Amino acid sequence: MARYGMVIDTRKCVGCYACRVSCQMQNELPVEESYIKFYEKETGVFPNVKNEIIPVQCQHCEDAPCVSVCPTKATYTTKEGIVLVDADKCIGCKYCMVACHYGARTQDHNTGVVEKCRFCAELVAEGKQPACVSTCISNARIFGDLDDPNSEVSKAIVKMNAQPLRPDLGKAKIYYVR
Amino acid sequence: MVETKLSRRGFIKASAATAALASAGTVGFNEWSKNYVKAGANAVVKEIPSTCNACSSKCGMIGHVKNGRLWKLTGHPDHPYSKGKLCARGHGYATVVYSKDRLTQPLKRIGEKKFEPISWEQAYREIAEKLNKIIKAHGPQSVALTEDPRASGKFYSPRFINALGSANYYTHHVVCSNARDAGFLHTVGVTATSADISNAKYIMFIGRSYGDGIRPSSVQSLASAKDNGAKIVIVDPRLNNTGNLATEWLAIRPGTDLALVLAMSHVLIKENLHDMEFIKNFTVGFEEYAQELKKYTPEWAEGITGIPADAITRIATDMGKAKPKALIEQSWRGAFGCNYENSTETGRAVAMFNALLGNYQQKGGSIFGGKPTLGKLDKAKHPSPKEPEVPKAGSKEFPIAYPENGVATIVAKEALEGKMKAAIYYHSNAALGYGNPKVMKEALSKMDLVVAIDVQMSETAQLAHYVLPEVTYIERDEVIEGLSGKVPGIALRQQMVDKVHPETKPIHEIYTELAKACGVGQYFNFTLDELNETMLAPTGITYKQLREKGTIMFPNEEITIGELPKLKTPSGKVEFYSETYKAAGFKPIVEWIEPKVSPADDSFRLITGKQAIHSHTQTANIPILMQITKDYDLERIWINPVRAKALGIKDGDMVELKSSEATSKIRVKVTERIHPEAIFVPSHYGITSKDLKTGYGVGFGYMEHVPFDFEKWSGSGNIHEVIVKVRKVNG
Repeated sequence: MARYGMVIDTRKCVGCYACRVSCQMQNELPVEESYIKFYEKETGVFPNVKNEIIPVQCQHCEDAPCVSVCPTKATYTTKEGIVLVDADKCIGCKYCMVACHYGARTQDHNTGVVEKCRFCAELVAEGKQPACVSTCISNARIFGDLDDPNSEVSKAIVKMNAQPLRPDLGKAKIYYVR
Repeated sequence: MVETKLSRRGFIKASAATAALASAGTVGFNEWSKNYVKAGANAVVKEIPSTCNACSSKCGMIGHVKNGRLWKLTGHPDHPYSKGKLCARGHGYATVVYSKDRLTQPLKRIGEKKFEPISWEQAYREIAEKLNKIIKAHGPQSVALTEDPRASGKFYSPRFINALGSANYYTHHVVCSNARDAGFLHTVGVTATSADISNAKYIMFIGRSYGDGIRPSSVQSLASAKDNGAKIVIVDPRLNNTGNLATEWLAIRPGTDLALVLAMSHVLIKENLHDMEFIKNFTVGFEEYAQELKKYTPEWAEGITGIPADAITRIATDMGKAKPKALIEQSWRGAFGCNYENSTETGRAVAMFNALLGNYQQKGGSIFGGKPTLGKLDKAKHPSPKEPEVPKAGSKEFPIAYPENGVATIVAKEALEGKMKAAIYYHSNAALGYGNPKVMKEALSKMDLVVAIDVQMSETAQLAHYVLPEVTYIERDEVIEGLSGKVPGIALRQQMVDKVHPETKPIHEIYTELAKACGVGQYFNFTLDELNETMLAPTGITYKQLREKGTIMFPNEEITIGELPKLKTPSGKVEFYSETYKAAGFKPIVEWIEPKVSPADDSFRLITGKQAIHSHTQTANIPILMQITKDYDLERIWINPVRAKALGIKDGDMVELKSSEATSKIRVKVTERIHPEAIFVPSHYGITSKDLKTGYGVGFGYMEHVPFDFEKWSGSGNIHEVIVKVRKVNG
């Protein structure tokens, strides 16, 4: 059984927001609601400067705090490790929003459901890539099976020594190259 | 067309299945997806290939249409610009089809910014009457047409204005690539080459950012060049967003790119790193050029550009060693680093630098692309308009300018002089985007007839006497587009959804019907489908096949690397010495030209550039794109911390920005990513049309500060020749 994960190579990210907008379109989100957030980190002094753009979304944590705090079990982890939300069970209490280390959850103002990145589970089920991955203009995102050592994502993690954004906050399924 | 069935929201709504599945607690992903598809089974998704309209690139895309409504887009895998990807603009701009601010019926102005709806018949009749009256009284040369060209426009617009007897067809390039086009045209015979980025070993960008003015395939190529160990140097007064992919940033003093290129050329020749074989076989005037270049030493350039002489020497030497897999990329928006008084000369110097490297038609170098052969209308059955008798306005003043695009702002100049009486603007917001809006607006208000064809009430439309509502690009078929490149091909923009507003029309219909009303309908006696069938005939591809695929490439017609075609310059070769320049009164050999204005200790040069989410003013009213601006304060101006500190300005402060033309209030982004002498303003904000509710009032328009001016060579708008002062004010 696959265990899905992703690599984001921030050395390639040009901060174009294509991932954000394609995700919004895929999920038919209101314009104010987005599953991907961007952080900028500027280092150095003119003219020796470096700028890093770090896209952050649900990290699909192994022991996801949002899952353990959810009072109605609306947030759950599939056997393949994708953290999903059952819209019918969500009561909009926002406990998961508070518990999430990454600020990755957002409430749909129309339905009250607290949603987040779902690794585009329905596309993955069809053998396709999540929308953010397939549209990434610099190929900074790689998605696949973390348990398959021959998958592109697993090889990239080893080759580039990719690390979770905050290893101190538990195991995540998105790995960053920085 | 592939049909799939997917709907996430549909799935959530049809939630009986979800509830059952979720109640099991942790469920398997396969189970989940099976139920998902079951619940969404009623939503049939049609996939329709077409081309994008969010910027001038026109990438291939696939529209996913659910229940007759455009759901989402993906990049067309076969199109050479998209290669399966789309940028944020591409994804988001498509929502324009459902915009609340769309024009829905023809309008006639009945007062200042007051319009009444009229029928198409009345619009055609009145516009035709006025056009014919103006032509009778002042001659056809008093009428002009300007557009930001797309496939149909490129065919129909010049044909329409020529049918009226006027040669005055113009494009938006006056504030884009006019300078580069002129410099390249008279040096290598084409207005642009293309860069073989993925095979290059050393790539220099001057003022061009693949990550901001995006063609997805270019960024993919650059990322793979980086993976392959290529050196990537960005020359820009600001560290643009392509910086992450670069190996080095040269923070050049704005307006001095020409000095850098001249000095690097000097080094190549001095160090004997130029390609003598190429120069002998394919160029003219090298001796005179080499002689002139002797004075442009790296030390000289250091004083002008602020880039250390040893860095200039090192980079030029390394590029010489990497030749022919080394190049300066051809850029686009106002070569290079935008529109300065010396930009045409910079374009020329760059084309010559690439010739020194012998990189033309070489792997990893600059490529002259092949064009597909498309059919033409039978002239007996479908007569073409006669060649207009009077040449295009502006061609006398700017004989070096690329004639096909022309100098669009000459229309405004002649309107102010009382010579230009009527103007049609199609898919063009000239009033806001073509240099100083105050002047542009005054010019438009001086004319007897202004017609705007658009999908929304742009500033230009507000000033028009008649506004004709077009369908969006999601609702129309267009003329087939030929794609030139290493491998030529064709692409089609086709309709994805039914017309949303019944009283809107596609441009080919508008021109055809208006031509009839003007009495020149004989030049439009064919349908779009007939035209496309004719164009396709020599390719052996059927219209049906093209509709199914959207983009079709011709790999059999791939150009041969190493074989330089006969160039379209007067000598047929690369011209280090240009008789054309001489005849036009310019120096035949490239030379250093000072920028027109320079900042003092207490002022800044104002520079602008694209952001990844906006193109021209057309995207500013798209909520899904403008929300990104709002979320990340992207409308702020950039200022260097040293200068900010001296002025008592902190990040996020409100400042006043004052130039000779205007005063604006805006918040600042204090960043090390900008040259201390420059203020960067992202484009394109400052929408002043209240009918565009999303874009209205966000940020300010860069052009407000730009004096109405023409660069001497290409006629290009000198939009970077602006000095400003900045002071902190209360927000």
